[in-house]
Amino acid sequence: MVSVADAVNTTIIGKGLMIAFGFIGPSIGIGLIGGNYLSAVGRNPEAAKFFGQALVFVAIVELFGLLAFASTFIVK
Amino acid sequence: MISSLLARFAESGPSVHVAPAPVTQLGGLTITNSMLYGWISTVLIIIALIAVARRVTVKPNGGFSQFIEAGAEFIVGLVEGAFDDKERGRKYVPFFTTLFFFILLSNWLGLLPIVGEGFHAGETPLFRPFTADLDGTLAAGIFTMAFVYAASIRESGGFGKYMRHFFVGSPLNPLYFIIGILEMLTDLTRTFSLALRLFLNVTIGEIVIAVFSYLGHFAAPLTALPFTLVELFVGALQAYIFTVLSLMYLAIAVNHASEHAEHEDADVSDSQTGAMNVHAESA
Repeated sequence: MVSVADAVNTTIIGKGLMIAFGFIGPSIGIGLIGGNYLSAVGRNPEAAKFFGQALVFVAIVELFGLLAFASTFIVK
Repeated sequence: MISSLLARFAESGPSVHVAPAPVTQLGGLTITNSMLYGWISTVLIIIALIAVARRVTVKPNGGFSQFIEAGAEFIVGLVEGAFDDKERGRKYVPFFTTLFFFILLSNWLGLLPIVGEGFHAGETPLFRPFTADLDGTLAAGIFTMAFVYAASIRESGGFGKYMRHFFVGSPLNPLYFIIGILEMLTDLTRTFSLALRLFLNVTIGEIVIAVFSYLGHFAAPLTALPFTLVELFVGALQAYIFTVLSLMYLAIAVNHASEHAEHEDADVSDSQTGAMNVHAESA
């Protein structure tokens, strides 16, 4: 009897799931940052000068997606 | 055609390196390709910046020096704007300008075609971008945070006074004590988050360029070009973010320290103005 682990390459599935779930969070986070920045600029055009600070928060959020991507190289 | 394209995925993939590879031995010390290129790019950056510093004029003369001048002015404005007291912030300008230009030019020198698969030493590539090595970025992170801690301890006026900033109220209160300890642990992760962010961004950029030049086959320059242009932007953005984040860590501690120093005077004047306001309202 062949077990599932023998028939299916579970490493590939694991890597796929890691990338999929690891990218969901940062995608939502960056979307929220961008959307809130634009709505802030829409309310008050003076707020456009905080674009640099918005990018800093994008970088903080982005790190977690990159961590998930980098972890796929560790999984063997 | 599609089946032949799909078959390419099944073959051995593009050559992707996550870790730097040893190139040679020097007195029992292993020299990796990222160390080698780090030294080369450091020398190039120093020579280029010294040449630019000699050519600086009041009237803009265009070219590369103009670009460096604009970048330096941007960082000077950034550093001075972050501190409540501009004079206090001005003495930290050289450090952050150096940091910004070193990371920016290292990232961009890493995008040259000679880096990566261009030259080989045996099996491994001869050159690797310095910022695509976790040891390199960790060294940058450790030195930056050591500078930030030393400067904030000096600005707060002693180690004890600096540690006091982590506690909202009295450290004898168990709740404030636990929050303070957690704050300290969060502070320690900053070194690793700075290092990992820079390393992962640059390395993943390299991997993406490698994958797309592999997929392009004979049209590799065409498919890799858009991602190289994206990496130009990402390299500049990461240099900016590394500088801004370390600047924020320093500015928070320094501004907090100056706030504390003024607090005792402020209490008196606040109560006086408060009393005056009450008088004005009643009148």
